Amino acid sequence: MYHFDWDVFWKYLWPPSAFDDPMIRTGLMVTIVVSIIAQFLGVLFGLFAALGKMSKFAPFRIIADVYIWYFRGTPLLVQMMLLFFGLGVTHVYDFPDIVFEGIKISGAIQAGTLALAINEGAYMAEIVRAGIEAIDPGQMEAAKSLGMTFGLAMQRIILPQAAKVIVPPLGNEFNNMMKTTTLLVIISASELFYAFEQINARVFKPFELFIAASLYYLAMTTIWSIIQSRIEAGLGERKGMEKPPSMLDRILGMGPRREPIGSGH
Amino acid sequence: MELASSSLTNDKPIIVQADKVNKYFGSLHVLKNVTLTVRQNETVIVIGPSGSGKSTFLRCINHLEKINSGTIRVNDRLIGYHERNGKLVEDTEKNISRQRAEIGMVFQRFNLFPHLTALENIIEAPVHVRKTPVDAAIADGERLLARVGLVDKRDKYPAQLSGGQQQRVAIARALAMKPSLMLFDEPTSALDPEMIGEVLDVMKELARQMTMVVVSHEMGFATAAANRIAFMADGAIIEEGSPDQVFGNPHEERTKQFLSKILH
Repeated sequence: MYHFDWDVFWKYLWPPSAFDDPMIRTGLMVTIVVSIIAQFLGVLFGLFAALGKMSKFAPFRIIADVYIWYFRGTPLLVQMMLLFFGLGVTHVYDFPDIVFEGIKISGAIQAGTLALAINEGAYMAEIVRAGIEAIDPGQMEAAKSLGMTFGLAMQRIILPQAAKVIVPPLGNEFNNMMKTTTLLVIISASELFYAFEQINARVFKPFELFIAASLYYLAMTTIWSIIQSRIEAGLGERKGMEKPPSMLDRILGMGPRREPIGSGH
Repeated sequence: MELASSSLTNDKPIIVQADKVNKYFGSLHVLKNVTLTVRQNETVIVIGPSGSGKSTFLRCINHLEKINSGTIRVNDRLIGYHERNGKLVEDTEKNISRQRAEIGMVFQRFNLFPHLTALENIIEAPVHVRKTPVDAAIADGERLLARVGLVDKRDKYPAQLSGGQQQRVAIARALAMKPSLMLFDEPTSALDPEMIGEVLDVMKELARQMTMVVVSHEMGFATAAANRIAFMADGAIIEEGSPDQVFGNPHEERTKQFLSKILH
């Protein structure tokens, strides 16, 4: 019978004792910051790729297609290793550590964040494109007839409307992103999971420590679900949209409730 | 009557000059040598069976559709193209946009921006295209809302307005750019019958001061507001004349057939 070491479990799960450990403290911060930056850049890359895919200029379409094809068709882990170690040996870019406002950002964190962002962009491209294509073409015509250029019409008329369509899947992407940052462990970037791995190497309590680690991620995704449903409720209220799924449904991973088939009216 | 209306307009400057316009959708020849002149303050109403190319022609006037041959000039400038070594080259996006800013367009399905209020819809282009100061654009927008009888709907979103109200806001939105020409693409055909009148009233008032090209089947409106009727069928203008002449004494067989269908 395995003896569960509650002391180790609580020590590394619960602040403040867990936060006394500098690895967990910075690991948590790195995970959150990397998730946000990678998601933000991912949306940007996705927007460019979506516009490229819809462009009248063939080379833009081809570049966007190849980008999406490659980064959705190959494993993120391989992309990350390729970017960090692969580019390193070619000396195209060595990912040197950067010190920014007294905080050291390791090359591994930079490479990992960039890999996450580029990969995410390939997925966001389809989400952004679907959002833009959901908008009535009459909107672009009306904007153009008022003298707007394509760029201004996108920025002022199409994208604000597409955002409504994009926000729910974007929220789900961010939820995934927080969990996917754990892959950075492979290039020894000092994120949260790496911290637990290092502690485990020292005290060897994998059962206790990895349960504690999983609960950290559960806490992050749960908090995000709550924020996300607030955002969506706000969007829906203003524009008179359908009600988004309730907070509990979202946390438990259920879609919007549907009437059972044949319930009648 | 015929003489009166033509002598009234002949000395006025030409606003729209379409010359032998041809357009194809693939192998389909949708506009066949369409030639039309519209002078300042004139209201020309284009009628004709569906599929006759009248909406397509209207959309060519502000280059929402490209033409394959011929020329369209608005205020004496080529639309969508410029001449280079005797050849027509498509214009830059910036130039096309600048020309479109001078041409107001009202659509069948209103196409108001649903994420903006009535007033925001109206001031959007003046502020972001013309760079009008926001205060001035708002003052102007409120005047326009008053003109179409919707001051109290200033802060409503399109979804909170009836179809007729939306179309009146759309007219105000187009007028906010102070265009020299207004294009109306079947402005009342998506409306419930009881709302058609309120939109036509605004358009009748407008027709007294604006140059307008209107695609419409509203015979009452055509008789009251049009200086000229152009009848289109199969991609060509078959007959053109004053409302009295075209409705009362059509020369072409095709026109007679069409009128007999819509007047009964």
